Parts: sequence; structure tokens; C-alpha cells
Amino acid sequence: MSFRMLFPQSMLWSVVAVFSLACCSCGQSSDTARSQLVLTGSSTVAPLAAEIGKRFEKLHPGVRVDVQTGGSSRGIADARRDLADIGMASRDLKPNENDLLSFTIARDGICVIVHQENPIASLTDQQIIAIYTGDIENWKDVGGPDAEITVVNKAEGRSTLELFLHYFKMENADIQADVVIGDNEQGIKTVAGNVNAIGYVSIGAAEYDAAHGVGIKLLPLGGVAASIENVRSGEFPLARPLNLVMKSEPQGLAKEFIEFARSRDVHDIVEEQYFVPLAD
Amino acid sequence: MVKEKAVKSQAVQFKTSEKRSIWSHLPEIIATCAAWSAALVVTGVFVWILADVVRHGIGAISWTFLTAAPRNAGREGGIGPIIVSTILILAVCMAVSVPLGVGTAVLLSEYTSPASRFGRFVRRSLDVLAGVPSIVFGLFGNAVFCIYLGLGFSILSGGLTLSCMVLPILIRATEEGFRSVPNDYRMSAAALGMSRTSTLLQLLLPAAVPGVIVGLVLGIGRALAETAALIFTSGYVDRMPGSLADSGRSLSVHIFDLSMNVAGGDRHAYASALVLIMILVATNAIASWTANRWLGKRILTA
Repeated sequence: MSFRMLFPQSMLWSVVAVFSLACCSCGQSSDTARSQLVLTGSSTVAPLAAEIGKRFEKLHPGVRVDVQTGGSSRGIADARRDLADIGMASRDLKPNENDLLSFTIARDGICVIVHQENPIASLTDQQIIAIYTGDIENWKDVGGPDAEITVVNKAEGRSTLELFLHYFKMENADIQADVVIGDNEQGIKTVAGNVNAIGYVSIGAAEYDAAHGVGIKLLPLGGVAASIENVRSGEFPLARPLNLVMKSEPQGLAKEFIEFARSRDVHDIVEEQYFVPLAD
Repeated sequence: MVKEKAVKSQAVQFKTSEKRSIWSHLPEIIATCAAWSAALVVTGVFVWILADVVRHGIGAISWTFLTAAPRNAGREGGIGPIIVSTILILAVCMAVSVPLGVGTAVLLSEYTSPASRFGRFVRRSLDVLAGVPSIVFGLFGNAVFCIYLGLGFSILSGGLTLSCMVLPILIRATEEGFRSVPNDYRMSAAALGMSRTSTLLQLLLPAAVPGVIVGLVLGIGRALAETAALIFTSGYVDRMPGSLADSGRSLSVHIFDLSMNVAGGDRHAYASALVLIMILVATNAIASWTANRWLGKRILTA
């Protein structure tokens, strides 16, 4: 009976593995600090920032841009606590966040969506408020079929929710939601799968999906049709900036990245992610 | 008159006995039907899911898809770096949890009696741990591994967080494996003058292999399926990882992002799901094969 037979090789391997891991993690952290940017925050901005980051990496060999997700509130908190170099938020900064600086890289709108087969063509702001606060619970009260309305709301901490509430001057506590969802596509899928549902999502995603055969319908808001075009022209009332957030005036690599993300060089990326690029 | 009555009562008696025989069989028939239909429903659901994923995903799978890096938020390109990250996260998770898990299982089954207070306490806490929602592990992993230990968003943080999640499953299954070894083995080994350590390594460990395999299969399944815990620990970066200190997106996170956050990402989400299922089947096969080969055969050759 040799010693090697007594101990399964896996144990030996794992010990070796753990040691080597410890070594490489220590060695790495010091020299990557200067050439690495960490971005965290809004899941709406994350895919856009990741694509911008990839192009930035190509232009600056040796630089790494790591994009993490988790929601706008997380982006704000991480930027404040220095857990990230740059935070991402898909809304304006609030008054109590004026210790931070924000840099808009693109614009997006939020629109109300219903199922494709829903005969309703438009809803007034008052009707939308009444539906979300539970005063209207049946489609027949707004001129639709006799069916109960399924109200789809966004989860706490999502900036889509905060913008929606702010625009309609509601409190989250007033909302009588039947379904609470997280990301945009989840909202679209929830509405597409329920004839009686109503929800609100990012216009870019909704327009793309409606054009590609997903069963949803975008409702106009305040008489303005919900489209990227109308967000671009500034006519659509419920629009929001997509922001990068920093605790102090950006310097070095962060400054270069923010300038790059706001430049013409990324307009095609912004459009590919169904957002509206900044005007020149 | 009397005769007629007797015939009638006989007929009634005959009727009731016939009835009773049907009634007495009924529960058995129902039970059989229920068992069969339950089995059919379970298999049906599995086949349905699999067929759905294969139908939507098979068209997008190609060698380029398996090796190329994702482009345009994953709508185009492939999942090469994501497969590598997934396998690395799983490797870290298993390298940490298997030795710890088997060790704890040995302690629980061989060195403590089932009734002892310590054993009961450890077992109870493991059961509670197994029921903790994965998002809690994610937040714990983020606070401890990423921030407190300074590992940041990295494959290492993700793998370590997953090993915390997998340990309870692994330990309980392995412990069952040890407990199912007949006590005669231990007695005979003691009678032959074998030491406790060599009894354990030469006899009990190989005999407990089926339990270890069950634990591995369940643990790998849970680790590969995990999304919530990994978003906060191993992260969202879809670059090819250069070391274990890099952030790496796992397949489950990629599927979640493509289907819930990226408009037009469904096709690649299905294809990635199909790849995930294939990896799951492959790693399970490899795990059982290696466990059998390294541990299981020794009991025959010894």
C-alpha cells in the first residue's frame, strides 16, 4: 500500500490548486490596478457599456474594462464607496446624490406596452394612473373587453420604476401590482404571454421586439407615438439619460473612457443596442 | 314464497359480493394509474423542455459559436470565453468542496454517533444551509470573498461562493453513502487488525462511492444552474479569462442576460442553454467515471 493509494489524487490536486490560485491573485492585483476600469450598475446600460468597453480595449492595448451589472442603485452605491471606478445609472441623479458627477452617454425612453390583441389604442395619463393604483381593475372601464387587468410593475431599485413613478407622480406603495419583474425583456415576455397585461419598458427593446414578431403593442404617451425617433427628437415625454457616474472629477483612464463613450465613435454601438445617441 | 325469498336474498348476497370485489380492487387500480401517470408527467415535462431547447437552439450551434467571443451584447458571435469561465468556476468549486465535503461526511458518519449532540447540530445546520436561497449566498459571497478578502469580481470568488452552496448537498449525500455501508465491514476490518484510517480509506470510502457520486451529480447540477449567486461574485465580463483572478461570465448568467435583458438575444440564449445541458451531462459522466475508477474498483482489487 503506497502513500499515493491511500490519498485520492483529487485531494492533492485541490491543495496545489488553492495554493497556486492564492499566488496568482496576489501577483495580479498590483499591476492590473492602473490599467483596469471597473464599471457596475444599471442592467440597461451594462450591455452598451460592455460593447463600448470592448472597442476602447482595442484602441488601448493592455487596458481592461470590466462591466458588472446589478441595477442603477447599485451603480450609485458602488461609485460612492469606491467599489467601482465608474457607476452606471439609467436615470438622472437625485437631489440627494449631488455628491456625484454624471456623464450622459445615450438616451432612452420608457413606454407603456399591452398585448398585441388588446383593442385599446391609447390610454390617457389619468387612466394609466388609475390602472396602476387599482382604481380601474377591468379593461371594459377604459373601453376594452370585459377582462381583469394584469398590472406588471418593475422591482424596487430599478430606475425604469423610479422614472415611471416620477412621471405619473405616484408612490410605489400606491401601486397595486399583480406581477413584479426585473429586466426589460422579462417585462416584454410577461406582457406578450398574457392578453390582459399592461407593463412599461424601455422603448428601444420594445420597438425591436414588436418589429420582430413578439406579441406586444406600444401605446402612445401624451399623444406622442412611442418610438426611438420621437425620443431622438425630444418629443416623447418619458425619456431618460443613460449615465456614467463618478465620485470625483474623472482623471486618467476613466476620463479617457468617459470622453470616448460620449464621442461620435460609439454612435453605431449605441444604435445597435437600440438607444438614442447624443446629439452632436 | 319462502323459497322465492331465499333465492332473492341469495341473489342480493351474490350481487354485494361481486360489488365488493370491484370495490376492493379499485384502490389498486387507482394507485397503479396514479403511479404511471405521475411517471409519464415527469418524463413528459423533461422531454418537452429538452425538445424545446433543442428545437430552438440547435440551429445556432456551430464550431464558431462554441469557440468565438460574443459580439453585440451576445446577439452575434459565440460563447467560447463563457464556456471556459463556466468550467473554471466549476473546477474551483469542486476542488474546494469535494475534499471538505468528504472529510465532513467521514466525521459525521464514522467518528460521531448519529445521536450525538454535535452530529445532530452539524446535520441540522447543513440542512438549514441547503435551504438558503441562492441570492443570499450571492450577497454573502460578494461581501466576504469580493470585498472583505479583496478577491473582487473573479472566477475564484464565484467558485468559492458556489462551493459554500454545494457543500451541504455533497456532505449529506456522501454521509448517506457511508451510512449505507454494512456494519459488518467495519467489524471484520477491526477483527483483522486494520487501523481505523486504513479501514476508512481502503474499505469504507470505496464502498461509499455511490453516495459520493449522488452528491457530485447534485452538486454539479446546482453549481452549473446557479445564476443569482454568480452575478454578484464571478460577474458579467464576457472576455476570455486570463487567470482565476479575472471576472468571468458563466453560461447561466449569459442565458439569463440574453433572455431577460437583451432584445433579440433569444436565439443565442437557447443555443447556450443547449450547450449548458450538454456540459451538465458530460461533467456528470466524467464525475461518476472518475469516482468509480479511483475509488470504486479498489474494493475488488484490495
